[in-house]
Amino acid sequence: MSSRPEPGAFRRLLAPLLGVLLLATPALAQVKPAPAAAELTSEQKLVLGERMYRQGILPSGEPMSSIVSGDVQVAGTSFSCVSCHLRGGLGSWEGGIVTLPTNAARLSIPRYWKFPNLSLEERKELKLQNPPARPAYTDATLAHLIRTGRDPGGTDMHPVMPRYYLSDPDMAILLHYLANLSARHSPGVIGDTLHFATVITPEVSVDDQQAMLVPINNYVKRHNQFSAGFGNRMYLGVGGNEMSGAYRKMALSVWRLQGAPDTWGRQLEAFLAKDPVFAMLGGISYGDWKPVHDFCERSQLPCLFPITDLPAVSDTDWYTQYFSKGYYQEGQAAARYLNGLDNPAAARKVLQLVQDTPQGRALAQGFREAWAELGQPPIKELPLPREGALDASGLAAILDQEKPSTVLLWTGDSIYPALDALLRKGPTPVNGFLSARLLGAQVTSLPEQVRAHVWITYPYREPHLEPKFSAYADTLLAGLTKRHPETRVSTRTYAMVQVLRQALMDMDRHFYRDNLLDRIGMQRDQILPDYLRLSFGPGQRYASKGCYIMQVGPGATPVLVRKSEWVIH
Amino acid sequence: MRRISMALGMTAVVLSAQAPPPYTRTLETYTVPDLVLVNQDGAKVKLKGLLDSGEPIILDFIFGTCTTICPVLSAGYANLQAKLPPGGPKIHLVSISIDPENDTPKVMRDYLKRYRAKPGWDFFTGRREDIDKVMNAFNAYIPNKMSHYPLTLIRDPKTGKWIRIFGLMSSSEFMAECKKAGLL
Ligand code: HEC
Repeated sequence: MSSRPEPGAFRRLLAPLLGVLLLATPALAQVKPAPAAAELTSEQKLVLGERMYRQGILPSGEPMSSIVSGDVQVAGTSFSCVSCHLRGGLGSWEGGIVTLPTNAARLSIPRYWKFPNLSLEERKELKLQNPPARPAYTDATLAHLIRTGRDPGGTDMHPVMPRYYLSDPDMAILLHYLANLSARHSPGVIGDTLHFATVITPEVSVDDQQAMLVPINNYVKRHNQFSAGFGNRMYLGVGGNEMSGAYRKMALSVWRLQGAPDTWGRQLEAFLAKDPVFAMLGGISYGDWKPVHDFCERSQLPCLFPITDLPAVSDTDWYTQYFSKGYYQEGQAAARYLNGLDNPAAARKVLQLVQDTPQGRALAQGFREAWAELGQPPIKELPLPREGALDASGLAAILDQEKPSTVLLWTGDSIYPALDALLRKGPTPVNGFLSARLLGAQVTSLPEQVRAHVWITYPYREPHLEPKFSAYADTLLAGLTKRHPETRVSTRTYAMVQVLRQALMDMDRHFYRDNLLDRIGMQRDQILPDYLRLSFGPGQRYASKGCYIMQVGPGATPVLVRKSEWVIH
Repeated sequence: MRRISMALGMTAVVLSAQAPPPYTRTLETYTVPDLVLVNQDGAKVKLKGLLDSGEPIILDFIFGTCTTICPVLSAGYANLQAKLPPGGPKIHLVSISIDPENDTPKVMRDYLKRYRAKPGWDFFTGRREDIDKVMNAFNAYIPNKMSHYPLTLIRDPKTGKWIRIFGLMSSSEFMAECKKAGLL
């Protein structure tokens, strides 16, 4: 295992030094040029090379320029190496076009047409005679390929591989970056085993812990039993050998956090130092996931599908792959629904009443940000008194004062007795929004007289359709005695396992953390429990994009009536 | 999956060992479905009205986080826009998302900005069902966005027929096709 930090680390290291450059956006005129390549340290070159690879920006701050499809001019700000070769450099496959790997480990060995993943030693062992498609690259041949598209085997690359105009010093910086890109396996690949961890925060109940741990452990056990199939490689044929070379056993550590959230980061760092794992699988918390999220960003450690409804919401963070944006996404859905209504009266004046909890704040933030993105004016927000403290006259007083057409009530079912206030005022009742996730099982006991005026954000598949999709997840729960389907912990864990299993196969033997995330990004949409659809894409980090708006139907055992699409535009 | 990775390997052989496949060109008649999509500004637009308006139209299918194909198709659009003579004929470039869940108006606006799109290039998203209908109407349905292929459809303003171009064109080929279709 290498002690070399991965390229991203240098960004932080050098941020103060190169701050001007890193902040450079297409408004490039004022940007100071970098010092000449010869004067740069290796670390500085990695920072600049990473920016070329990921953002298509030259050390000077100008966009890189290239030609694609023969004569189509492209600026680096439109797309760059990372768009096709992905962050780990192992390439992609789309619509019949294969983007070859461009990481160090692969560029430094010959490329073969057939069974390209076999190592040179394996080729020798298997007595494969065919000549390579190209020899290993040298700096000179790689520069030639990047400029002309012709590889050292004499083959011209498909014209979607751009031909880049690069000066010698800029080329040297890019080559230095490529020479370090996915050069050695990431930490956590130890012998024949891939090491993983999962994390449990202190407040999580034993039943919920088990609902996550049992399905993961069952999967790990089965995965490890499968190794028997690769026992005798002699019988596998070349393809089988290539595949079995990608197989690693799995080991899972459970990291239990203690104390206050602001100490979790340090605890996690200590865990990781003692037990360097390749990635985190799942994890569970009732509270804000941000301390764990930030740890993963800092440590460049992938975390796959933690069970949390309070994820960090970011367009640019890379390391945590979530199921959804949780409560935030419910708030977003409310905004989009209200904005899209044919009758705009409901959107005339909106008021948010927000309980002072992470859940309430996330719902409010989701609404506020989506509402602004839709071009709507800012709305008034008021804090809700603590649970249960608002009665009908209290709510009526607020409604009299603010005169909203719609009020978002981001709180639990303790608000139910106050909801009559929605009906009292004016010619038309005030519309209300509530969160199904906050209401929990109480959602169907919404007072009957207000049901026609209250919308519910509901972030899962319609309840009557769910059993069909969750039934199979049960088979992974062998050994679990107490089941709580309403928490959706075991079904979500099951979904995580499905995506992981595919990702491990797609990762092949290229054990780089970024590659694991790249492979998930290239996965096809999945239809799994709980969420109507999980979808992926490079950099997409919230797999479920939807949330229904529902109403509660009539009667003592009401059904939820769908009022919206899964994804509201 | 094993089968897939073998298939991938084989595709790689074919593509890398050969000259790039030339694009194919056919003439088709399509019926534009009557439905509403949402553009990058969040505006609802009737697709039929848009595509049957008689103005010169080019259409493709892309998505915001797509690798390889969309960047190249979109670079083609951007180049075409750059080459259109000012004050000359207008061509309406239409991109339809095949990842409607992720492609919100904001994602689409950011995408167009990255390609320095000028007015006249619109990106549409919508309900998944509707997007499926559009893909089907243009014989472009794919169940999995990752197996998306390069397709450009040019509407002949005189006949209302569509020139279907399968594969990636160079900039000069794209201009030539536009001329041949009477758009320029
Ligand atoms: C629009 C997509 C795209 C972009 C952008 C792109 N490439 Fe490529 N690249 C490809 C494709 C596709 C191939 C394989 C072509 C073939 O097999 O004929 C390729 C091949 C290569 C190869 C050859 C690998 C080998 O084994 O011989 C290298 C090296 C490479 N690219 C590096 C880069 C670098 C560095 C950048 C950025 C400066 C870049 N590419 C940008 C699509 C792209």
